[in-house]
Amino acid sequence: MLNSVIAGLSSGGGYALLGLCVVLTYRLVAVVNFAMAAVGAMGAFTMVSLTDDGLNVWPALFLGVAVSAALSGVLGALLIRWFGEHNERTKAAVTVAVYVAVMAVGLRLFGATSTGARRFPAPFDGAVFRIGDVVVSWAVVVSLAFAVAITVGVEVMLRRTLVGLRLQALSERPGTAQVVGISAPRLATAVWVAIGALTALVIILVAPRLGGDFSTLGKLIVTALAVAMVGGFRNLPLTLGGGLLLGCLEGVSASLSEVREYRGVIPFLVILVLLWWRSRHEVWDTAHSR
Amino acid sequence: MKRSLVRRPAAAVLALAFTLAATACAADDGSDGGSTKGAIKVGSINGITGLFQTPEVPQAVKAVFDEVNAAGGINGRKLELISKDDAMNPQRSTENEVELVQSKGVVALVGSSSAVDCGVNRAAYKTAKIVSIPAVGVDPACFNSPDIAPVNPGPFKLLTAMLYYASETLHHDKVCLYYTTLPGSGGGISDAIKEWETLTGKQLAAKDTAVGEGDPTPHLIAAKQAGCQAVLYNAQVGPWFAQAQTQGMQNVDFIMGANSYTDANAKLVPSGMRAYVGTEWQPYTDTTLPGNGRWAELMDKRGIQRTAFSQGAVMAADVFVQVLKGMKGDITRKTVTEAFKKMSPIEYPMVGSPWVFGPGDKHNPVQGSRFVKAVDGKWQVLPEGFIVPGKK
Repeated sequence: MLNSVIAGLSSGGGYALLGLCVVLTYRLVAVVNFAMAAVGAMGAFTMVSLTDDGLNVWPALFLGVAVSAALSGVLGALLIRWFGEHNERTKAAVTVAVYVAVMAVGLRLFGATSTGARRFPAPFDGAVFRIGDVVVSWAVVVSLAFAVAITVGVEVMLRRTLVGLRLQALSERPGTAQVVGISAPRLATAVWVAIGALTALVIILVAPRLGGDFSTLGKLIVTALAVAMVGGFRNLPLTLGGGLLLGCLEGVSASLSEVREYRGVIPFLVILVLLWWRSRHEVWDTAHSR
Repeated sequence: MKRSLVRRPAAAVLALAFTLAATACAADDGSDGGSTKGAIKVGSINGITGLFQTPEVPQAVKAVFDEVNAAGGINGRKLELISKDDAMNPQRSTENEVELVQSKGVVALVGSSSAVDCGVNRAAYKTAKIVSIPAVGVDPACFNSPDIAPVNPGPFKLLTAMLYYASETLHHDKVCLYYTTLPGSGGGISDAIKEWETLTGKQLAAKDTAVGEGDPTPHLIAAKQAGCQAVLYNAQVGPWFAQAQTQGMQNVDFIMGANSYTDANAKLVPSGMRAYVGTEWQPYTDTTLPGNGRWAELMDKRGIQRTAFSQGAVMAADVFVQVLKGMKGDITRKTVTEAFKKMSPIEYPMVGSPWVFGPGDKHNPVQGSRFVKAVDGKWQVLPEGFIVPGKK
């Protein structure tokens, strides 16, 4: 059982990173971005296509990240310009449409599961230590460290810096923020660009473990949204914990023959129960306040 | 306002008249496949867009038909291929079937390569009394329908061959199965395992048919703990082998299904890992193998991609042409169906057993597999020839 938990924990860092990207987007620009992973996958595949063509890994990485940043920036600018006054549901619906489009284009450009599978550079594949039968690689340590750095870094930035304060104002009261002199469209577009770049880095980091083809990487948004739900699309430390929990649950359910067939469902069921447990008082209070 | 109300019934009558006229025209044109003159229309439903893409398949079938037409056709009649893309969408697949079988009046379906065609259209093929010879049979319905006989072994006969290869050729006692099961495929997988157990008297050391997407590490740890010497696997290649390498599983023989037999996947196997693939036809990467020479030459001449799927396409077209050439009298849907149900087996060098349609309620004529191994980013053909379970 311990082996399974450790094995699952190793993927938890990757899940946490994906969930953190969703929560960041929601907290900073108030959009549930369904296209996030697909946009990141565009950058990841741009990078791997360039390295396959012989380009050095660093310029390829820069160009790949730039592609995702640009795509995300265009999506953000589009949402700000045409859907700025719409509610969150409409904006989320727009990102669903963009997700479908990016997936279709990505499949066309980079191929389907077997023909389009690529070998991503995995510089962190070396073993760090062994627990029982499980070899823990540097990739696991790097994912976890990256996730913790984002969680702590973003919390500090939002609470302690002027940019953070402006970003919070932007996400919670965009109209008021603009009245007090914050250049809302410019700041929001910059956030979209930064999140696009960050997502590309995360996708490139998790690709050797969780993907390898465009379709699988783009569909990681499902896991990312489930993890983000644990943090209520707001709480970064809880999101980090949710990612690790999802990984562990996957590991444990793969090791138990009785529930193995439902491996894909069990983590999500547990998350659903957790959400219900956490929100039961809120529902009660809300009902009374009406 | 008044005028439009008067016009509506008139328009409806006109539309009805048009529909009836169109139906009548279609019947005259041979919508039941009864035409005895002009081109012999042949249908095909292929995945050109979507998740399961085989654009080379209809091109390869057409290449064979063009060859036949250039040599005078069949009894002086040309072969005309009408290929439709279903994009792995069941609704579009049904629409394609209606158009091909009912409107175009095709005599048979040859070289289909869709992941959903057999399942959604099998009943319609039975009603229309039409035969389908898919180039690539994917779902279980392709192998248990009275009117469909693919030219590939399919995932279940291939699984039996892979198990047989692991236990009888590689001589492993601890053979394990880590598979992704598509909806409706569980029974086929169980039957394939039972067939292997009956032939060899052996049992699987571990079985997990719920391998999905996501991190494969928990499955690999389970395989390590079960002491698996050979692991049969059918899902994503990259993450599986990257993590197997990290977990130190260099002494395990990983045997994958034909879906993994692509140039892209050969490059994903890290050096030091032992990866095999069971192929459905003669491995396409070696053009000197029996049957591959003509196929490779034809593909190169027409600028068509050389893949295992285009091998299936050429084989489906070849067996169709051979049966048609043996027919006497009219070539209609009815006579073509009769000819396939009564045909003699065809020895085709690209596969491990003779191909035949025959009168049965289900058809899985091709058996056996030839194995390749990943060496330095390429697939190397192994010398054993076709491994047909139970046949020494």
